[in-house]
Amino acid sequence: MTGLSVGEKLFIQGGIAQDLRTDGRKRLTYRPIYVETGVIPQANGSARVRLGGTDVIASVKAEIGRPSPMQPDKGKVAIYVSCSPTAAPMFEGRGDEELSAELSIALQRCLLGGKSGAGAGIDLSSLVVVEGKVCWDLYIDGLVVSSDGNLLDALGAAVKAALSNTGIPRVQVAADTTGEDQPEVDISDEEFLQFDTSNLPVIVTLTKVGRHYIVDATSEEESQMSSAVSISINRRGHTCGLSKRGGAGLDPSVILDMISVAKHVSEQLMNKLDSEISAAEAIEDDS
Amino acid sequence: MAGKASATPATYSPSPATRKGKPTIYKDGDRDWVRPDGRGFQQCRPAFFRTGAVNAASGSAYAEIGNTQVIVSVFGPRESKKAMMYSDVGRLNCNVSCTTFSTPIRGQGSDHKEYSSMLHKALEGAIILESFPKTTVDVFALVLESGGSDLPVIISCASLALADAGIMMYDLVASVSMSSLGSDLVIDPISEEESYQDGSLIISCMPSRYEVTQLTITGEWSTNKINEAMQVCLDACGKLGKIMRSCLKEATSATSE
Repeated sequence: MTGLSVGEKLFIQGGIAQDLRTDGRKRLTYRPIYVETGVIPQANGSARVRLGGTDVIASVKAEIGRPSPMQPDKGKVAIYVSCSPTAAPMFEGRGDEELSAELSIALQRCLLGGKSGAGAGIDLSSLVVVEGKVCWDLYIDGLVVSSDGNLLDALGAAVKAALSNTGIPRVQVAADTTGEDQPEVDISDEEFLQFDTSNLPVIVTLTKVGRHYIVDATSEEESQMSSAVSISINRRGHTCGLSKRGGAGLDPSVILDMISVAKHVSEQLMNKLDSEISAAEAIEDDS
Repeated sequence: MAGKASATPATYSPSPATRKGKPTIYKDGDRDWVRPDGRGFQQCRPAFFRTGAVNAASGSAYAEIGNTQVIVSVFGPRESKKAMMYSDVGRLNCNVSCTTFSTPIRGQGSDHKEYSSMLHKALEGAIILESFPKTTVDVFALVLESGGSDLPVIISCASLALADAGIMMYDLVASVSMSSLGSDLVIDPISEEESYQDGSLIISCMPSRYEVTQLTITGEWSTNKINEAMQVCLDACGKLGKIMRSCLKEATSATSE
């Protein structure tokens, strides 16, 4: 992305101050969201989300594994994001390390909740097969194909769509194994259990430019930001994770105000996302 | 001392049976649980800071809060690597590492790779980067003992080390964290409390300017809880800022004598 001239910068800042952004949106309006599910046939679940110029793919693969000894009644989830060089040449090789790490950790924080597992969007105890011995390991991988700002929101939506598209195979456990041996497991080929995604939060990133906040910033608008706060909010309106990224300090009252704005925006986003996901699933079922 | 079994008092008597298997400190619905170290829910551990810990560095600081010990060295401003592009503001490079003996089980503490980027975000809002263009300031933090609430201690210690190095800043950065355990909020958790927490809130702020440079919330929080936690934490940051300031004053008055 080429740099912006002084005139363009002032245009962006002035437009935001007047509630009219460069693409005609209002400050709290999202770009149109397109969701496709089942884009990767070999994965247990997958989705592709397009948010304006931002294009991300999320895939979910489930493998049989052992639960960790400290939490024998929970499965394991690993979330990892990588940025493809197709998005920007600087992502080649290890150039995307910093951004990928930041996005991965932000997604983990939003979806996996606290250490004891409370408040997690994903119910880990539903992933257990035999307590203490066999559980499902979910590997959620995000890939940024094209980047035009607001990567975290798009990735959050893609993970939500991918998880609602995920089918975990039914497992039969051989009943006669006892003691320390790994039980024999028979994984059926027909997918059954659909993942329960009603508790999954959505992520809303509010970017502060000048004295106003905008939602769903493009990369031009992000270059003008003073700071950004990403808030993940679940269906009950509770905050599941928050991280402030970038630059300048913010007054605490501003942060609390941002949280209430994010709550308001998240309701619309969640409804829009749910309808898009069910439409995408319907198309996939038909084809 | 089997031979001296008679009247002379034993020179060493083992203390009465200490429970090897400690019960969980907190059970659901347990109203009157007490924190393992006897602190109140809104009471922080006593803090000790000292600057000038490392002679070779431009600035350094050592912090000890309860069982958490951190040492931070600052090098710079020094020339940026030739590979980096020209930049008319300074650059900040942060690196956090844990010693292998910092955790009860050897080698377990090294899975906090995100601490480096979180330290960077907490400090970049406070440093006046325009005062050292074309150069880089390196901040290296080493956790000597991890007793809980590590990142806030690292951030506070790093801002003291930057002040000791003479890097221009808008204000010191003080940081505290708060854990939510069921319906209770406890400030400055120790590692045992952190392992049972339902959620955590880490806030870094500049006390005199009353601005938050970094806020990270994990777990499910209602807005009222966030409000309450932020108020308590900002108050604690203010007091921590005063302690840090008095440490700096002591250091300068010691050198001027």
